[in-house]
Amino acid sequence: MAKISVLDLKKTYAVGEVQVEALRGVSLEIEDGEFVAVIGPSGSGKSTLMHILGCLDRPTSGRYLLGEKDVSEISPDERASLRNRQIGFVFQSFNLLPRTPAVENVELPLLYNGGRLSRSQRRSRALEMLASLGLSDRALHRPNQLSGGQQQRVAIARALVNSPGLLLADEPTGNLDSQTSREIMDLFRRLNAERGLTLVVITHERNIAECASRIIELRDGRVESDGPVGAA
Amino acid sequence: MSLEIALSGLKRYRLRTALSLFGLAIGVGCVLVTVAIGSGAHRSIQDQIRAAGLNVILVKAGNYKSRGDETIEVQAPHARLAPLFDRILKALSPDVLAHPENDPMEKHDHPTAAERLGDAEAGLGAAATLTQEDADAIADLPGVADVASGVHENAKVFAGERRWFTRLHGTDVDLPRIRRAHALSAGRFFSEHELRRAEQVVVLGSVVRDKLFAPEADPVGEEVTLWNQSFRVVGVTGSANWMTPGAVGDDEFDAVYVPFTAVHRLLNVTNLNTITVTAESTGEVSKVAAAVTELLRARHRIADTAPDDFTVVTQASEVLTKGLHPNVARVLAGNLPNLERVTLEELSMTLERSSRTMMALLVSIALVSLLVGGIGIGNVMLLSVTERTREIGVRLSVGARARDVGTQFFLEALLLGAVGGVAGVVLGIAFSRIVSESFGWTTSLSPGVVVVSYGIAVAIGVVAGFFPARRAAGLDPIEALRYE
Repeated sequence: MAKISVLDLKKTYAVGEVQVEALRGVSLEIEDGEFVAVIGPSGSGKSTLMHILGCLDRPTSGRYLLGEKDVSEISPDERASLRNRQIGFVFQSFNLLPRTPAVENVELPLLYNGGRLSRSQRRSRALEMLASLGLSDRALHRPNQLSGGQQQRVAIARALVNSPGLLLADEPTGNLDSQTSREIMDLFRRLNAERGLTLVVITHERNIAECASRIIELRDGRVESDGPVGAA
Repeated sequence: MSLEIALSGLKRYRLRTALSLFGLAIGVGCVLVTVAIGSGAHRSIQDQIRAAGLNVILVKAGNYKSRGDETIEVQAPHARLAPLFDRILKALSPDVLAHPENDPMEKHDHPTAAERLGDAEAGLGAAATLTQEDADAIADLPGVADVASGVHENAKVFAGERRWFTRLHGTDVDLPRIRRAHALSAGRFFSEHELRRAEQVVVLGSVVRDKLFAPEADPVGEEVTLWNQSFRVVGVTGSANWMTPGAVGDDEFDAVYVPFTAVHRLLNVTNLNTITVTAESTGEVSKVAAAVTELLRARHRIADTAPDDFTVVTQASEVLTKGLHPNVARVLAGNLPNLERVTLEELSMTLERSSRTMMALLVSIALVSLLVGGIGIGNVMLLSVTERTREIGVRLSVGARARDVGTQFFLEALLLGAVGGVAGVVLGIAFSRIVSESFGWTTSLSPGVVVVSYGIAVAIGVVAGFFPARRAAGLDPIEALRYE
């Protein structure tokens, strides 16, 4: 069963008077449990693709099936629910809530999953998640008291706290030094291997992309190449 | 759950929360204080106009305006017979009005009040042609509300070492009802019982009180000396209106009030200098004044062609005839019933107009204050819109629905409005108190005003805090995240 299946995805932005075609017809399939890297120069449409895959944005045309569900047609609330339960998203700029302790940032998705968890359950889930990422001693630190790598791990903890099947990461190492980048990619590989998490990671660095098992290269809004690591 | 999120949102931005609350509180406080001062002023103007005594008729003994050469038109049907009646009545009871000391300038064959009381001023100015029986008869006239007899003297009042030369009004228990501008600041007015027994009790005017007693002293229950007689202070009367405080020589608060019966007893007189009458309605003042005149002429057996031996003054006639030659004034006063109706109508219209102007002024000041408060809050809220829009983006990206975000911001705004509004109401009421206590200004706050400004505060909070957020919550998450 294909976890992700997109067909002829197009996205056009209006930037002022100019229409920018970010995606010009992308079709691809990503299987359950795959670890895919998406590479390409800036402007190639990889972030746009990622936002659509993460239900953060809607395509102008084309179809997007997540599992067996056609996601391009569903209501905003249903998309919110997908973002909450089935998709974890990691941003380049972390997007943690400022002035908010790490643990509360991690709890955030739990606040919107239908209120099934009590306050203490939410707190312990978030703390567990932080602990599994080696951040137990940073739980009460605010984002501005954490290093870039720590902030990104808090963001990953937040993305994973509702146990989604799909983790999308948009340039997760873009703001990190190479040592920290390697640690984050190792973490992704471990999550993929140990939990069977489907991972899609955007990067523009070839060596980071090679941590994945499959590389999709985009150029000018189209898929230029698609194949397992080492094939290209 | 939503409340929890909202509270944590407010807690996260402490400074902004504090500023918003402050802005709201100041806004609401300002509105309440302006309205309080404004409507206080409004009310005190109305009180003043009412207190000016539009319905008061003053009957004075003697007639200093006419010298007996003017003719007075009296439309009595028995006009021709009246002189005859007059003569008959005078013949039957030659000294019915006479009393040994009613005229202090008269030579007496017995010790006069001044000699008996050992006070040279006692009994001066007591010349009078009015009696208590006249007052009682007036009280029975239709349209008459209150009647107060008056005997007026000048007197030195002593309290220990201090003394003060002032006006002494021997008067009736009805006086506080007639003098609306008076307010007892301590104690009480003398009672019916004290009046009947001619007790030596006194109500001090505020000016006299200040001259005779230290500011912190309580004069009620103290003894003062008048005409070498001891009087017990039962009350202090002052101005009910901060715009017209008592002043030295004003005859109202630079004065003492004693039962007129006590004056009668001590001075050994029976007559009155004045009878103060109030008409039940302002429109009937002239009618009542005419009835009083007719009654007194009959009681005093004044011939139709003879002038009054008393003067009836109404507030309206006093205002209208002020500064006019007596003859002109009399003509004018003769036509007063018609004139008065017009004047009173005009006056009440003017009153209404001025109070409408006042209200409009008030409302616009209040609106400006609210606007300023609202802009303050709106600014604080909008300044953070970038930051908060990113927050909204983050929340949406982890699965919050537009509705969840809307609820959060609505609750935040509502809490701010509610708490800020309460703070503002407290601030406003406290400040109004301070103003009225330290400046002596009348302030008045109706519950309606408080409720309305509170409601507006909450509404402003919600509008300024909620609507920008709701708009942001409707965006796609990625747009909200990219917002700059």
